[in-house]
Amino acid sequence: MLMLSLFWLLVGLLIGILANAAKLRSAWVRGGSVGMLGLGALVALLGGWLGTLLLGTLFATATAIWITVLGVALLPWPLTWCNAWLRSRSSPTP
Amino acid sequence: MYQQNLKMGQRAAQAVLALLLGAGCFLSLLPWGRALTRSAFLLPALISASEPAPLVVAGDPVRFRRVTISSTNGPVFLDIYEPTTPPPLIPGGREAIIDVVGVGDNRHVPQLVNLSRSFAHEGIVVVNVSTPTLFQYKVSARDGEAVVQAFELLERWPGVDPHRIGIIAFSAGVTPACVGAADPRIRDRVAFLAVFGGYFDATSLLGTIGRRAQVIDGHTQPWQPDSTPLYALVSTVSSLLSPTDNKLLRKAFPVNKIGPPLTAQQQAQLSPDATAIYHLLKGDEPGNVDRNLTVLSPQMKALLIQVSPVSVIDQIRAPIQLLHDRNDPSIPFTQSQKFAAALARIHHPYDFAAYSIFSHVEIQSNLGLEKLLSEGTKLFQALYRILLVGS
Repeated sequence: MLMLSLFWLLVGLLIGILANAAKLRSAWVRGGSVGMLGLGALVALLGGWLGTLLLGTLFATATAIWITVLGVALLPWPLTWCNAWLRSRSSPTP
Repeated sequence: MYQQNLKMGQRAAQAVLALLLGAGCFLSLLPWGRALTRSAFLLPALISASEPAPLVVAGDPVRFRRVTISSTNGPVFLDIYEPTTPPPLIPGGREAIIDVVGVGDNRHVPQLVNLSRSFAHEGIVVVNVSTPTLFQYKVSARDGEAVVQAFELLERWPGVDPHRIGIIAFSAGVTPACVGAADPRIRDRVAFLAVFGGYFDATSLLGTIGRRAQVIDGHTQPWQPDSTPLYALVSTVSSLLSPTDNKLLRKAFPVNKIGPPLTAQQQAQLSPDATAIYHLLKGDEPGNVDRNLTVLSPQMKALLIQVSPVSVIDQIRAPIQLLHDRNDPSIPFTQSQKFAAALARIHHPYDFAAYSIFSHVEIQSNLGLEKLLSEGTKLFQALYRILLVGS
């Protein structure tokens, strides 16, 4: 499973690169493009393990791929919102 | 210009991501996609006759165990290859495959072990069935009981979905497999029956051996059998022959080699049945094949029918897949053609694929790229149908 987990991380990084090229990144974190790579790798790892649990290891990579694509396409928006909300809470009130 | 290129790159990346999303969903969420994934992993394992690294890394770890069960026809030896992991939540239960390998002890044949392990890596429980009769190179319809016993055992096997159990018959394993698949106790629950390099009718098989020729698509082609079917046929009919007949026929048709012809004096000692069998197997009277088949005793004719799938074909419920190499030296290709024609006559669901990359039931080595591509596609389709059952 270690080999597979490393492979899923790599797949996630590649999808993160594609997401950057596709301009799916918004201003959700500081250092956005690197953040997108991190998000891709993390979601791919989680997707791979979820795929293993639900469908078995043979289909885990395919599961990791579509979950990661969905993740890099959809997660930046709630993350941006969370980021803005946290900033607004931490900024001093006049 | 730079802006335009940037826009095109962005669109291309979006298209690739959309493609990955679609492909990922299809290959993991839909049964057809999962069967496609499994076939794509399994095909290289079959063609290379080894376990490819991607299958070993991405597949389940495999456990092997040898179990002996008893049936009314004696002991049944089961070699079980199964994944060590619990079955995944989707689709819930595992597919199981019962392999009925031909005559002789084939349990350690590398390509069979490789096939079994590869299936198990893909999450399928594989049981290779052997019996003492098959070890003695004999074919017996009573070995169908071994298949029924193995099937019923798999129905209770942890993790196996009882509705996803199929049977693959190799070569002479076709008789026990068909008799088992036709048994009223299990016939409505067999998911599929695949026959690889099998015969359909032992009498016409004997005729083809006697003529040393087969008729394919209206053209008569010379056909030279290897020693295995000759020895197996002698062993199969041995119970109906005298000790002298058996001794002489076994001398003329030894295992794994072509024996010398019997002298005129030795031939004179043979019974009429044994004389006809001798000339049919030796192929020294190609013009007298029909006459030699006619003079066989009623018991011998009945036995030949009994060990033929033709006798049970109308009782099988499972869809049947026929696979046969055109240049098979053990069982002539025409046997599968006859099988397919009979299935078409009774409107039984079947599929028939002819290959030219096998030597009987084992893949040849050093295949050219062109052959691999054309034959690989056909093999992929056959695997897909087998794997769709458990996907």
